Amino acid sequence: MSTETVYTIVDDLGALLLFTMILILAAGQIYRAIYAVAAQSFLIAVAGAVLAMATGNTDLWVIAGITLAVKAISLPWVLHWVVRKMNVRREVEPVIPVALTLAFAVMVVVMAFHLSGSLGPVRQAITGNALPVGIALTLLGVLVMATRKTAMHQMVGLFASENGIFFTAMAVTKGMPLIIEIGVILDVILAVLVMAIMVLRVRSTVDADIAGLDRLRG
Amino acid sequence: MSGERSFALVLLEMTLLVLFGPLVTGTIQKLKARLQSRQGAGFLQPYRDLAKLFRKSTVQADTASGLFRAIPVLVLAATVTAGALVPVVRAGTPAVPIGDALMLLGLLALARFLTAVGALDAGGAFGGMGASREMTIAPLVEPVLMMVVFSTALVAGTTELGALAAHRGTSWIFAWHAADFLGVTAMLVLLPAETGRIPVDNPDTHLELTMLHEGMLLEHSGPGLGCMLLASHTRQIVTLGFVSALFFPIAVNDAGADGSLVGAGAGGFVLGLAAFAVKILVLAIYLALVESSYAKLRLFRVPQYLAIGFVCALTALALRIL
Repeated sequence: MSTETVYTIVDDLGALLLFTMILILAAGQIYRAIYAVAAQSFLIAVAGAVLAMATGNTDLWVIAGITLAVKAISLPWVLHWVVRKMNVRREVEPVIPVALTLAFAVMVVVMAFHLSGSLGPVRQAITGNALPVGIALTLLGVLVMATRKTAMHQMVGLFASENGIFFTAMAVTKGMPLIIEIGVILDVILAVLVMAIMVLRVRSTVDADIAGLDRLRG
Repeated sequence: MSGERSFALVLLEMTLLVLFGPLVTGTIQKLKARLQSRQGAGFLQPYRDLAKLFRKSTVQADTASGLFRAIPVLVLAATVTAGALVPVVRAGTPAVPIGDALMLLGLLALARFLTAVGALDAGGAFGGMGASREMTIAPLVEPVLMMVVFSTALVAGTTELGALAAHRGTSWIFAWHAADFLGVTAMLVLLPAETGRIPVDNPDTHLELTMLHEGMLLEHSGPGLGCMLLASHTRQIVTLGFVSALFFPIAVNDAGADGSLVGAGAGGFVLGLAAFAVKILVLAIYLALVESSYAKLRLFRVPQYLAIGFVCALTALALRIL
């Protein structure tokens, strides 16, 4: 494959990643958000495979495989399991209305594109839109975390945000050292597992949700 | 690249759209029925309905003015004219400048406006309610359609649909830019809204709480109602043709290079027509699937649903410009 084609494909995948991110932001039910984030991880795995094919970097194949197995299948399954186990209300409880969140999302995307232009030499060294798309994904993940009341949704946000970081790293550097990538993935696995256990424990001991901690005074 | 489309061809395409509009509705209804394990009415049921309506006489409310009687004809005229702007069998600019994608959206908006005015004029409670709802949804849909058009038009440097289709060429999927993916998803989100289907509107019901478009047709009867129904069938196929011209102009460039309807162009004409039928069928299947697998949204949830399309379209535009 020529470099041109690879960048086109990565660009297209970036657009689809943004679309899944919009779905996560607009999801009215927690399950839909989980499916969307699983789809997003799957797309990242595809992007990894495409880059691996283009660069001949075997590390990238490994990373694509791990991403597929861990982030696209296992972790969504864990999240799904926790939601079922907790038997919580499945409707999303946003801090601000979802439509307003989407408006913020638009601003974030536009800003990401606009500001990444000011990176100058860095921006020029990278072909295509991988950098602004990655930045936008990361920030939108943070937006999800900031605007949702339940811990489950914040986990989905963290997950999506991490996907953004991963995408940026992969597309911009054409494959970081394997050890770093694996470290990043382990980080996420740990974070999600710890949070999942925390949520289950908090729930079973005090029957409270994250929103209930607002009024906690020392 | 293909040349210009002759005026006769444009007229022929417009007639084809009007003729096959009800068939698309019939197909969607049949598909829906099969998906729900029902036998369903035949594909030709909309034609039978229309034939029945045109034979009947008109009854109208005492409060309705003369405008009310003219509304169905005006709505049909606006929609059919919009049909003339959609390239069906061939890409390329029409020989006579008749308008572009914005003109098409404008004509559809005009038809919508006239429908609402007619509903208000008749003085029925449901008509007014349907009109107010339709007018709440419309401003959320139309700008997004515009943005999708712009995100495509920026590359081609024109908003003329035929020229846009020609610019995209036959190798459409390989030439797709990242923005096109987002544009097409925005379109797919908006299609049910624009064609008046679930999850935004429910075309099968006459329950007052769920009606949008149907509520506005309640006061019409006989040939007037027939015109309104024909207009909504045409509107549906025009919208589907609009989407396929923007994003999947398959085979339109191979069709009849000389622009004539006979001789060398005939094979291409048939090919273009067949490709168009397939494209419309695919989109019709999509609509039937969406209708069967989703529930109708509460009216206040509709803006949230449409916002997905809005953000997608805006991101597509951002990807193009920035």
